[in-house]
Amino acid sequence: MQSRLPPQAYIDQAWFERERELLFKPLWQFIGLKGMLDKHNAFITRTLFGIPVVVQNLRGELRAFENVCPHRQNPIQTAPHGVRALTCGYHGWNFDSEGAPAHIPFEAELYRYSPEERACLHLRRFALECIGNLVFINLSAEPMPIKQQFGSAMTAALAHCSLAFDNEVAMTTYDARFNWKLVYENLRDANHPSFVHAQTLSKYATFNAKVDDAALESLHRMRADGIPDKARALALLRSFSGGGRDEPIGHIPHQSWFDEVERYRDHDWYYNWLVFPNLHIASPTGGYTFTIEHHIPVGPDRTEMVVYYFTAKKKQPYPASPAVLHDLMLSTDVILSEDIGVLEQVQRTLHANARPARLGDYEYINAGIEPWYMDVMEGKIVL
Amino acid sequence: MSCKYVIGSGPTLAHAVAAWREHDPGQRLHEVAVEPGAGRAALAAVLDALDFADADAFVAIDAQHLNFHRLALVDALHERGVAMPPLVAASALVNVAVTPGENSWIGPGAIVQHGCSIAGNVVIGAGAIVGAGAAIGASSWIDDGVVIGRAATIGAHVSLGLGVLVGHGVRIAEYCVIDRAGRIDKDVPARTFLHASHAGPIVIVGH
Repeated sequence: MQSRLPPQAYIDQAWFERERELLFKPLWQFIGLKGMLDKHNAFITRTLFGIPVVVQNLRGELRAFENVCPHRQNPIQTAPHGVRALTCGYHGWNFDSEGAPAHIPFEAELYRYSPEERACLHLRRFALECIGNLVFINLSAEPMPIKQQFGSAMTAALAHCSLAFDNEVAMTTYDARFNWKLVYENLRDANHPSFVHAQTLSKYATFNAKVDDAALESLHRMRADGIPDKARALALLRSFSGGGRDEPIGHIPHQSWFDEVERYRDHDWYYNWLVFPNLHIASPTGGYTFTIEHHIPVGPDRTEMVVYYFTAKKKQPYPASPAVLHDLMLSTDVILSEDIGVLEQVQRTLHANARPARLGDYEYINAGIEPWYMDVMEGKIVL
Repeated sequence: MSCKYVIGSGPTLAHAVAAWREHDPGQRLHEVAVEPGAGRAALAAVLDALDFADADAFVAIDAQHLNFHRLALVDALHERGVAMPPLVAASALVNVAVTPGENSWIGPGAIVQHGCSIAGNVVIGAGAIVGAGAAIGASSWIDDGVVIGRAATIGAHVSLGLGVLVGHGVRIAEYCVIDRAGRIDKDVPARTFLHASHAGPIVIVGH
């Protein structure tokens, strides 16, 4: 079947900007791990869809603010993460847990704001929710309930698996030269690993691409009849996120550090959780290690991939844990680089008159997202 | 007659055996291969089969696993009370007052200037330069030709790869890997990895 997405959806700046407003801003977005914010003044900064955001622990409460001082628009926190008071380094303004200035040096002498003016000086605050160890924010003024986006079962599954995460986390960012949708489509394409990862991932895990006739029939009905109303659109949105046990994996070579962690479950399975639109959690080692990929769109042909690597919770600290994370990063990098290489190749072939993709029946999941996505982009569904 | 067990894996083991042969042609050497990353029981099985009554040892495993694989074997030999004297190549220029720690290895043509400290289980590759007053932490790996400036500090379990140059007084904290050629002029926090394959650093946060 022909993809409903025109090439412009992958290359066009105006399309990308509409996508940010209509799709991403109303949806809950992953911002980081709660374990990274476990002490007073611990913070994470990210730029999501052009908006600089800081999430900070303020005496035990996690708060999300626009990371911009209302005085002269300087970013308040300048590092990607750390532990530091919510104080602007430009003129020393310090902010409280409500985002109001708690202290402005020389306020009476130099600023002389009227009470009305001062009342407007608070930081712009965003909604924040935690699911287990995962922190999400919402940039909309009227955010939808988070369960409306992910559904109860997925919310429970994410809470359960993320509570197994250790707090020692390796992180890096890849500047990938492709549209964010290529990576989410790739993650839902079980036919690619045996070709792209023939010498790596496929050596120990077999991903069986299948055709689901019932799902296909329902897809064809939706393509013909359209999405009737918002309730159906939201139900579809929830169905785009899911995961858990994916495929059995062969023998996992025992590593001496396995005894140092509380394994998540005890099955030799490849676990995958796909969190729509742009988050992927995996445990390729049957619950001993985890990887999170957060695909942040920064342009029609650029995606910032923030990747987190960690093990299951440590039973107690052990000296070689940084070496375990370093090894995990190196081995995961091989597979990620294979994906990035292919997706960047695909991106380079796209142009305004490129023909849309021809999907096979096994790609019913990606094909099923397309009508919903196009309705959002055409304003037929308002999230 | 005393002998030396050179224990390790891969090309590093072969390299160490050749280096000891050159260093002391009269020494009886036994090359013993182990699986890097082998658990305690597997290492014990290998070591139990060796007679250390009149022997010392040298461990030759590369920098993998942040040098912990090499350290695991050094620790296992320690527990058995086996001496592991350092290997300093005859062509290395090591200031007389510098005493490398046990199982350290200073390669041919390396220069280690006065006032340096070289902890145990350190590898300093051929032609590397360690400036005056620099401190090299335990179980670190300084690749061939690396230059470490005066009074620089290299933490434990640090690996510096080919083409790295550490500025004078710069501190590379423990558990770092810098495997991207270039000059490091700012201190590097612990658990930071700079790889040529990654544009940005990989950092570890939390504990």
